[in-house]
Amino acid sequence: MDFFEILSYQKLSHNPESNDKIQTAKGGLMEKNTAIHGWCGQVLRVNLTDGRILTELLDSDVAKSYIGGRGLGIYYLSEEVDPACDPLSPANKVIMATGPLTGTAAPTGARYMVTTKSPLTGAISCSNSGGNFPAELKKSGHDAIILEGRSPLPVYLWINGEQAELRSADHLWGLTTHETDDALRRETVDTAKTAVIGPAGEKMVRIAAIINDRDRAAGRSGVGAALGAKNLKGVVVKGDQEVSLFDPEGFKVTNTKYRNNFKEATRDNPPPLRLHGTAITVVGTQSHGVFPTRNFQQGQFEGWESIYGETLSKKFLVRAKPCFSCPIACGRVTKIPEGPYRGEGEGPEYETIYALGSDCGVDDLAALTKANYECNELGIDTISMGSTIACAMELYEKGYLPESDVGMPLNWGDGQALVQLVSQTGKRQGFGDKLAEGSLRLATDYGHPELAMVAKGQDFAGYEPRGEQGMGLAYATSPIGASHMRGDPAYFELLGVPTTIDPLSYKDKPPIVAKWQDVFAIIDAAGLCVFFSVRYLTDLTLDARPVGIMELLNTATGANYALEELEMAGERICNAERLFLTRAGFSRKDDSLPSRMTHEPMPAGPAKGHVCHLEEMLGPYYKCRGWTEDGIPTPEKLRELGLG
Amino acid sequence: VQVNVDIYANLRQYSPTGSGRFELTLVSDATVKSVFLALGIPEAVKTVALVNGRHATELTRLKAGDNITLFPPMEGG
Repeated sequence: MDFFEILSYQKLSHNPESNDKIQTAKGGLMEKNTAIHGWCGQVLRVNLTDGRILTELLDSDVAKSYIGGRGLGIYYLSEEVDPACDPLSPANKVIMATGPLTGTAAPTGARYMVTTKSPLTGAISCSNSGGNFPAELKKSGHDAIILEGRSPLPVYLWINGEQAELRSADHLWGLTTHETDDALRRETVDTAKTAVIGPAGEKMVRIAAIINDRDRAAGRSGVGAALGAKNLKGVVVKGDQEVSLFDPEGFKVTNTKYRNNFKEATRDNPPPLRLHGTAITVVGTQSHGVFPTRNFQQGQFEGWESIYGETLSKKFLVRAKPCFSCPIACGRVTKIPEGPYRGEGEGPEYETIYALGSDCGVDDLAALTKANYECNELGIDTISMGSTIACAMELYEKGYLPESDVGMPLNWGDGQALVQLVSQTGKRQGFGDKLAEGSLRLATDYGHPELAMVAKGQDFAGYEPRGEQGMGLAYATSPIGASHMRGDPAYFELLGVPTTIDPLSYKDKPPIVAKWQDVFAIIDAAGLCVFFSVRYLTDLTLDARPVGIMELLNTATGANYALEELEMAGERICNAERLFLTRAGFSRKDDSLPSRMTHEPMPAGPAKGHVCHLEEMLGPYYKCRGWTEDGIPTPEKLRELGLG
Repeated sequence: VQVNVDIYANLRQYSPTGSGRFELTLVSDATVKSVFLALGIPEAVKTVALVNGRHATELTRLKAGDNITLFPPMEGG
């Protein structure tokens, strides 16, 4: 068989009521489930080893139980991937999944999730992104793509409506994400949307990202390396159908209600996110003393005013840029007009400012913005990149890392070194080859693993657990390793949403963190963005009941979720993820934080003298989760959730 | 009492000097609510207030030299 002769074959629908025949990738016929709404009812399965492409029906019970996006990701990962497999082997799979609200007019219905076994951590990787690619994928008639095996040659996947084919990517190998986006749209359709890897993913840099729409990133946990290991340069998609809605009029009314709530709330006070992007968050973290500085040695950065949102707006902002169907527009199109870091692109976001800025002691906004551009073009997660360089800087400053290994001095605050090292990492050149392995492997190589600021091997986001106890618990128990986007306690510990509770208290945090982790799973599964959902689609209490999400889902899909049923779906997703981790050998011992967080008191600032009380929080957390003292879901809990 | 105020983002419209950092003189027994009143921040405008980096409510009492930080509720990420 010619590898590029794309095969397809039909799989009959589960739905005998439907007899609407549709064409699959190469002319086969299958029955389309026309009774399904919100979801497309179809999943594209691409075997990269033999080039076969199948269109499969999405089981409607699975759809309702797991919602979509992150839920579908863990469903397929659990069903089809050996938790013990090598993440860079053909046995691993990459699932790109949209939610039932992705591609609809729902506010922020722009998101998709990339789920795989992480090349960085060996745990789960599920990395989320917005932009326009996810909506386009949905409009092609697919809820998800399952990528399996390994191509013998570099390829890309071209999805044109319900047609799909693999094409040679020989001529694209080595190109940056922007160059690849240009080339793919040139050789397919100019208005198509892309999700691609750069040189970093090709070289299996363990902190490589998948970049869609040129500058949006499914960034975390090395999803780009997983694609590179499959010899898949990326996916380009052109959609040609609107998402079918169960109750179009009801959906419109619901959608208008929540959009109007947003308009009303922001009429006299534009949202800070639109004015200054996520970079404004520096105000909240710096003032609380939890703005990570110099590899988390301090919680306040003396140069913060040089790199925060209002300075970014004044110096480099070109315009705010929304994702698909988003009324907020937190994206930043920026330009450095002159000087050694001249360039243009998108960013930096708050997390990037922490990682490439304060955590490295860098107060040069141009340098860290340039490093951000480089990360986007090479396809690297800015959080783990900055955190890994910060780790290297501390190793260097303490004399554990010789200058001869780095090839240059590596002192705190060196913006020039920062930009150079990002470039080296993306290409695995020089010392960049060591940075490409991530901070934990780097610090271990130099005999000081305790200097890697990670949980389960993934670098912290931009919040200090010693001054934000709930965030410490969220980092430690997140299924992907440290992440703020698994429950984001910064909302209620720092940022006043829905209210502020003392960030230094810890006894009250376990049930709130568990609850918010479940709600975030619902948001991620529905295909929505957290920024709108938390504030406008929940009941704005610490219970964060997803009332608005339920209303949108029900009018879009007809699934008729009760609120408790939807909340249980969120809990199911979190438990399914935990079960996968358990099978991969993870347990309480892995729900940990570096000793700096748990044993070295914060040296100064509002959190002075505090450590993170993780051990005191873990037991109560497991208890409210229905897990054993070792953090394993009990058979009763699994049965209750339909996972037993 | 005299306190130091840092005020951010769109709340800066309530700064008496237009600057994001200024000193404010209040009567003794002042609270965080006194700051809101002195600056004319309407009740409907949700505001996060910190006193010396610690979370505060409207009832939190102020003493001379306190550092007050005010910003609108915002999103992480």
